[in-house]
Amino acid sequence: MSAPPAAAPALRFAGVSKWYGQVAALMDVSFAIGAQVVGLVGRNGAGKSTLMKLACGLLAPSQGEVEVVGVPAGTPEARARLGFCPDVERLYERCSGLQFVAWMLRLHGAGAAGAQDRAAEVLTELGLAADMERPIREYSKGMRQRVRLAQALAHRPAVVLLDEPMNGLDPVARHELAGQIARLARSGTAVLISSHVLHELETMVDRVVLVHQGRLLAEGRVAELRGQVRGQPHRVQLGSERPRELAAQLVGWPQVQGLELAASSVQVAVNGEPGFYGRLTGLGASADGLVHEVTPLDDSLASVFGYLIG
Amino acid sequence: MNSPGFVSVVIEMARQTAVLLLQNRLLWVVAVAEVGCAVIAFLLGYRPPRHADGRLLYSMLAWWLLLSVLMPWVTMYFAVQAIHGDIEERTFQYLFLRPVRRSALLLGKWLAVALFGSVLTAIGAVILFLATLPHAELWVDGVQWSVLTAFVLAGVCGAVAYSAVGALFAAWTKRPLVWTAVFIVGMQYFIGNLPAKAGIRAITVADPVRRMVLDRVEPDRRLARWLWPSEREFDPEVIGQPVWNLVVITGVALALALRAYARSEYDARARE
Repeated sequence: MSAPPAAAPALRFAGVSKWYGQVAALMDVSFAIGAQVVGLVGRNGAGKSTLMKLACGLLAPSQGEVEVVGVPAGTPEARARLGFCPDVERLYERCSGLQFVAWMLRLHGAGAAGAQDRAAEVLTELGLAADMERPIREYSKGMRQRVRLAQALAHRPAVVLLDEPMNGLDPVARHELAGQIARLARSGTAVLISSHVLHELETMVDRVVLVHQGRLLAEGRVAELRGQVRGQPHRVQLGSERPRELAAQLVGWPQVQGLELAASSVQVAVNGEPGFYGRLTGLGASADGLVHEVTPLDDSLASVFGYLIG
Repeated sequence: MNSPGFVSVVIEMARQTAVLLLQNRLLWVVAVAEVGCAVIAFLLGYRPPRHADGRLLYSMLAWWLLLSVLMPWVTMYFAVQAIHGDIEERTFQYLFLRPVRRSALLLGKWLAVALFGSVLTAIGAVILFLATLPHAELWVDGVQWSVLTAFVLAGVCGAVAYSAVGALFAAWTKRPLVWTAVFIVGMQYFIGNLPAKAGIRAITVADPVRRMVLDRVEPDRRLARWLWPSEREFDPEVIGQPVWNLVVITGVALALALRAYARSEYDARARE
């Protein structure tokens, strides 16, 4: 399985609605993606995960249709063509990363030896060669994320869905993940990647779909949307072993509007000028432990959505 | 890669579940409990109840400690762990993403749990029996291996049925351990011990398992009273078809579990 056929979009939502009892999680959502990288952006609770789970067949639409490479979502044919990296922290904690990915491959029909070889190959590509035989319970957040990604990519799907893959990753890991996504795009794989922070997606996606309260709010190329939201401030929390030192480094950056110091983190108000995340990646890579985690705060899209929805 | 066949998914899922169960620390607790039962049997051998022979002593302990307590709790707990553990920790998503039928996944998990429950029960029954052997005075007519066979067979059948009921609670309910407790205490301990005329006892697992044992050990009046205290005048006619009863309970529980597992949207916000 590699690139989807040209005739059918890689992923298609047509008039999709989803209700949980009386609560509408999605209302009449329609869009399609081809072999490209698309960002799915919205606040927490906007319906991003619901959209992804509908594509995987983990949920069934209350109304409308979801197709994966022209096949109804949720069917074994659709699932064989799809890889999903869920926003689930837990894995099989006592297994090794290698064992976990190989087990998932076995359920795709791979033989024992083939599954083991392919799992090792994909984990090596993701930078886990040295640790793949250690139990998962000993893994860091970043290593777990790579295992989750590996199980999504190992069977070479035509469509890959990544649910908030940047959460909790340090700048270096984010940079590596962006590289992985770029490689997937080059191989013709369609990628849908969700985030509640537009800024962290803008360097890696071709197009963005914005969802708000279960509705499709806006859709388009990043540059178009970026033009609309330029200058909107947002906040991020930077985990650090030496927060005072980190704060001292950040003071004076033109993108930093304000800093708030805590015991093991620094909260930064970013003014929206470009270049902040590039400089932060450089800082994280240059000093060990100075930045070990970047967590966008929930309200970081508030101003963007405020702007878009008036 | 081709989508795997139904049977190969069942076998693969059973293998993976068995590996995960083998890593469960509860296994050590079960091992200690089984050795503990054997120690009790060994010590009671020095001062057995009046007129109790080896057969009665073993049957009493194997029934009330092993088949009534250890087997149901352990088997159902493992079933809940294997199936609901995935749901609670949301790792089920990794399985449901594969191009396989959910029914194959559930059957594989159930198979592994049934096998585990059966093996653990059989081991427990054997070491309990071995613990009575040093007391040769209890086996004046020679060691009756058929009693051991009866309990191993009944234990294996019981574990298979309990694992199916555990699978049902795990797939269907949000709090399967609460339902397990209600089922074991309410159905097995209370209803399962009603006299033979109470027809409702037939829908328990404990009742057909006990009838299986009674059918094979050919009890005298005293042994029958020990195993079924509420049935004052044991009549072999009440044994009926215990294996068939267990097959029906297992089949119904599994069918309902498969239905729930295949249709439930475990990720729906309404469930949370």
